[in-house]
Amino acid sequence: MSETNPLGNIFVSHRAIASIAHMAAIESYGVVGLAAKNLAEDLANKIVKDPSKGVEVEFKDDGIIVDLYIIVEYGTRIKMVTSSVAENVRYQIEKWLELPVKEVNVHVRGLRISDTD
Amino acid sequence: MIDDVNRTTLPQAKEIAQAGKLDGIGLKRLVEAGTLWLKANQQLVNSLNVFPVPDGDTGTNMLLTMQAAYNEILHSDERNVGKVAHAIAQGALMGARGNSGVILSQLWRGFARALDNFEEVDGEILIKALVEAKNTAYKGVVRPVEGTILTVAKDIATAIESFKGKPLSMEWLEKIVFEADLSVQKTPELLPILKQAGVVDSGGKGLFIILEGMLRYLKGQSLETPTTSIQPITAMNLEETMEEIEPGQDFEVVVDFRPHQPLDLDRFYEHLSQMGTSIQVGEGDGMYRMHIHVPTEKRYEPIEYTMSLGTITKVAIENLLAQMEEKKNSRPSIEFPPCEPGKIAVVAVSPGLGLSRIFASLGVNAIVEGGQTMNPSTEEILKAFENLPTDQIIILPNNKNIILAAQNAASLSVKNVKVIPTKTIPQGLNVMLRFDPDGNLEDIASEMEEAINEVESGEITTATRSVEINGVKVEEGQVIALLNGQLVASASHLEEACFELLKAAKSEERERITLFYGQNISVDEVHQLAEKIQEKYPDHEMEIHEGGQPHYQLIISIE
Repeated sequence: MSETNPLGNIFVSHRAIASIAHMAAIESYGVVGLAAKNLAEDLANKIVKDPSKGVEVEFKDDGIIVDLYIIVEYGTRIKMVTSSVAENVRYQIEKWLELPVKEVNVHVRGLRISDTD
Repeated sequence: MIDDVNRTTLPQAKEIAQAGKLDGIGLKRLVEAGTLWLKANQQLVNSLNVFPVPDGDTGTNMLLTMQAAYNEILHSDERNVGKVAHAIAQGALMGARGNSGVILSQLWRGFARALDNFEEVDGEILIKALVEAKNTAYKGVVRPVEGTILTVAKDIATAIESFKGKPLSMEWLEKIVFEADLSVQKTPELLPILKQAGVVDSGGKGLFIILEGMLRYLKGQSLETPTTSIQPITAMNLEETMEEIEPGQDFEVVVDFRPHQPLDLDRFYEHLSQMGTSIQVGEGDGMYRMHIHVPTEKRYEPIEYTMSLGTITKVAIENLLAQMEEKKNSRPSIEFPPCEPGKIAVVAVSPGLGLSRIFASLGVNAIVEGGQTMNPSTEEILKAFENLPTDQIIILPNNKNIILAAQNAASLSVKNVKVIPTKTIPQGLNVMLRFDPDGNLEDIASEMEEAINEVESGEITTATRSVEINGVKVEEGQVIALLNGQLVASASHLEEACFELLKAAKSEERERITLFYGQNISVDEVHQLAEKIQEKYPDHEMEIHEGGQPHYQLIISIE
């Protein structure tokens, strides 16, 4: 996302936004991890620790679109967890960067089973 | 759904309390009690919410979760406590609402797991269950935040370990509730945002309420009237009670009183709830403030009742429907010109609505309210421009007492801030004529500074004490005139003071006189005065504006 001011241009990178989204997601209750989108990315992550793993950011004219790939704790109400995450991510991005968020899509990549019921 | 009357079936409660073990039926009764008590205190918990997200209304969310949990066992007479616990957990899971609901469902899940298939719960099992509940809840998040419901769950589990070896009894629940309360009170120490907002954590409070409800049930106390939690008067949220006017509640009654004897809050609340709704009780300097909404025919009842308890110092009755109408028709708020990203934005300090509007029409992007004593804090000034989408800011303090706070704000901010040292409103207004948002900050700021002394600023007000300054003798109650902040005249009448002021400002050499009238003078008086001024200075242009400022009857700009 970029904006112009008399001194020059300001570019906010995908990375910056992804980092904020990542932080918001990981603090949300019920989210126990973020997943890579595919295997190749996963391998790459093992070599280079990526602070935005599991987050994808796209810019459109009227706002940002965020896609989250999360792992949810088994035994929680998934629907509630996902809406909480989406709201949290939207709120944090709009608060810290003052950039309009058009969509937050939450993809549940898996469940983590911590113990057997 | 359990949503009706009090169910303190005393014999049953006593049985449970004395049994030494808890079975399925007992657990069911406790859950019912906890849910009822949470229902009664729903609004209290809601009111503690600080974050806009993710929890809309913690109280309501936790209640819905508990109700869903209870529904699973509503028609059951299962005696096996493990089975009942599992059903509860299942209900909570499916019915979890909001963040706090999800965490609550996790607590139940862990609790149920520890209860396994046991017929009854004894002390040992209960300790394990509380620990397991806490562990399960903590597992549900990567970065648990302390100072929340998680902390309360943890503190309870830790505290109850000291009861190991003792037989299960009501004492256990007393200890649990006691520790939960302590933990809740400590949450502001752990989570700064709570301290800032002056509240405890809502989720933690919700959990405490549920547990307290269970204890109240065992003790045979009412589960209907909400917690008689008394708040400091300053925390009473009377504004918001306007938003939820229930049908049949026509009048708002607020009574300040001094009770003859220490107030029995429970009884007080119970009486009041017979009369109306939206009850709040606040405590102040040796007195209480009671607030309630009542139907028309009962509008004097709260007053009569309170009178029987003590000495009434103040009564206020308002017709709620009329109030709502007024609010709808009331002045529209000010429209500020939007700040273009990257351009210069101006923040001005203003003591009155009318003046703020004028500033806005001149291009000011944000106002800091000056208030009665014209003393906004550095923080209030900072807040005004922090969120504007530009880092080029100009501040107009418009009062010599505020210049320092403005300069502080400038040095504290990471933005590029220039303070134009305006000491009066007319100066502030005048410099705005030199403002250009597209310009260069340095250039514009120095142009504006040059313009400060172009205008003569006059203020007319009433002297609050007798004094002699600048050779001018002032008696308390007289009308005084200040020119550019200096006392120049005192008189027994407003008119006289005005003319003295205009003379001192050498108005003959000027062209325009503008009057901004405040709250303490009538429009008629202003117009009469203006006519007289025009007579004396026929060639001058005159303007009259509503300033809305308190304290100063007139602010006069002479150019």
